[in-house]
Amino acid sequence: MNATLHDSEAMTARERSAEFGKRAVPYLLVIPGLLFVLGVLGYAVAGGFVLSLNETDMFLNKTFVGLKNYIAIFHNPRFQSSLWRTLAFVVLSIGLGISMSMMFALTLYHVGFGRRFFRGLSLVPYFVSGIAAAVMFRFIFTTSGGFVNYILTTFGMEGPSWLGNPVLAFTVSILANAWFMVPFATLILLGGLQTVDKDIYEAAKLDGSSGLHTFRRITLPLIKPMMGVSLIWVSYISFSTFDIILALTAGGPGRATELISVYMYQIAFLELDFGQGSVLMVMLLTFNTLLSLVYLRFFVYGDRRYKVVS
Amino acid sequence: MVSRAERAPHPMRESGMFTAGLRHRVGRFLLIGIPLAILVIWTTLPILWAVLSSLKESLEIYESNTLLPANPNLDGYRTVLAMRGFDSWLFNSFLVTVVATIVPLVLSIFAAYGFARYAFRFRHILLLLYLVPRIIPRVSLIVPLNSLMSDLGLINTYWVLFITYTASAIPLSTWILVGFFAAIPKEIEESATMDGANMWHRLRRVILPIAWPGVVTAAVLCIREAWNEFAFVLALINETSMRTLPYQLYMLKDSMGVQDYAVYNAFTVLTVLPLLVVYLLLERRVVESIVSGAVK
Repeated sequence: MNATLHDSEAMTARERSAEFGKRAVPYLLVIPGLLFVLGVLGYAVAGGFVLSLNETDMFLNKTFVGLKNYIAIFHNPRFQSSLWRTLAFVVLSIGLGISMSMMFALTLYHVGFGRRFFRGLSLVPYFVSGIAAAVMFRFIFTTSGGFVNYILTTFGMEGPSWLGNPVLAFTVSILANAWFMVPFATLILLGGLQTVDKDIYEAAKLDGSSGLHTFRRITLPLIKPMMGVSLIWVSYISFSTFDIILALTAGGPGRATELISVYMYQIAFLELDFGQGSVLMVMLLTFNTLLSLVYLRFFVYGDRRYKVVS
Repeated sequence: MVSRAERAPHPMRESGMFTAGLRHRVGRFLLIGIPLAILVIWTTLPILWAVLSSLKESLEIYESNTLLPANPNLDGYRTVLAMRGFDSWLFNSFLVTVVATIVPLVLSIFAAYGFARYAFRFRHILLLLYLVPRIIPRVSLIVPLNSLMSDLGLINTYWVLFITYTASAIPLSTWILVGFFAAIPKEIEESATMDGANMWHRLRRVILPIAWPGVVTAAVLCIREAWNEFAFVLALINETSMRTLPYQLYMLKDSMGVQDYAVYNAFTVLTVLPLLVVYLLLERRVVESIVSGAVK
């Protein structure tokens, strides 16, 4: 009698600890990675906010100054022009990037032979580092010995100094950035095109719908989620373009290609003003967070990764 | 098309159909062929030009503007490989890439399994904490990271690169893997459980083999991030011998007086080549994962 009671109590205790162990499992699986993410990225974000409210001297001693850095930055004409420049860069990059990606995706969708080869080839620039891409573009557009001016010379034209002219340098930066970001967007859009049921196109054809009409009224609405994903990718990359600009033009000529990210680097690491540099970090983060809220709102919540398959 | 041809007994009509078909085919060829040519040229030209320039002689560019190298030679590559410090830059890049691929991959396999297979309190919020950092541009963190890591005395160490690269690789690889793990029917695992397999066994013997394309994709993207990373190494390393290849490629601009095109381009090609080899070996898995929407 006693023994059985004792036994059953032991069972429940063991069961309880097993139950606890079972419940701890997911946390034990998830927490190690989270420590890295929060410890490094989270800490950096928090640290950046704190830094933006402080003034730092050459030895990185901090004094709390409230919003002084923000006011100083917003009144700085250099910031204002770099903000407008960044917005222009982003808008033009989105326009060029999305239209190129769409053209390439449609091409890869319709190409009859070697589709796998061309698909694989199209992604190659995604694996070239921003620095290497920038250097490659510099040698394509460099005045003597550059590819573009070589072509222009053979047609008897005098090639301009591409990277010495503010407007041309800005254009070349957009091209280099597009080269780097279009491949990924292309494959995302191609994925969208491939999910569309071919019968729908057949039906549209029978109803006498023209190619362009079919594309606008059927294809585009059906691949809207993929459009959204590639839009987010393209604007995210363009907002934070840094290595391409730094290695291609270093923000020049003058300040013609100085985007917020480059300005942030220069003010923090060359002028050693970490407080104002952090203000720009907060700006970059805010822009990207606004973008990603749109992203989460429209595209991610439908993903099965948010649900447990059970 | 076939049925229409069958319905065309009249010779006149048949020839009309033929020219229409031809016109259609030519139109289609142009409609696909021209963009395809643009795609191929646009994608390969910068790389091809770098390779061609790397094979030219040092001063060929300045003396005669040529498209193809007059005397193709590997002097540029020899100069790069003989650079003082090239072996340490290469070693640094390899070391950092290996660590910043394996550690995040292991951590995100565990995390992804947890998220895909367990319902637990705070799951949603923890998943968000994992994923939200994906939208933080790396470059925006360089200012606070530099200040934080100087306080910790970690500037110019491998540790600072291991830690920061690992942290920034985890969100993407976790996201990819959660998708692949969640797609595996739970019944497969349940039958393994009945055969007495514990969680480690199920993960190793059931989940990972099935989700292997996802693991490969996540690995390749981790390798890509680490090998090409620039902003962090720029902000956290300032010793010459501790640089990685992209950083040194960037610094090359300042270290050469007259730009030696061959050397510069040879360096570029050498930094890009290893990663392209990795990509070519695993191209099918990566492209399929991206096209299927597993990476976004």
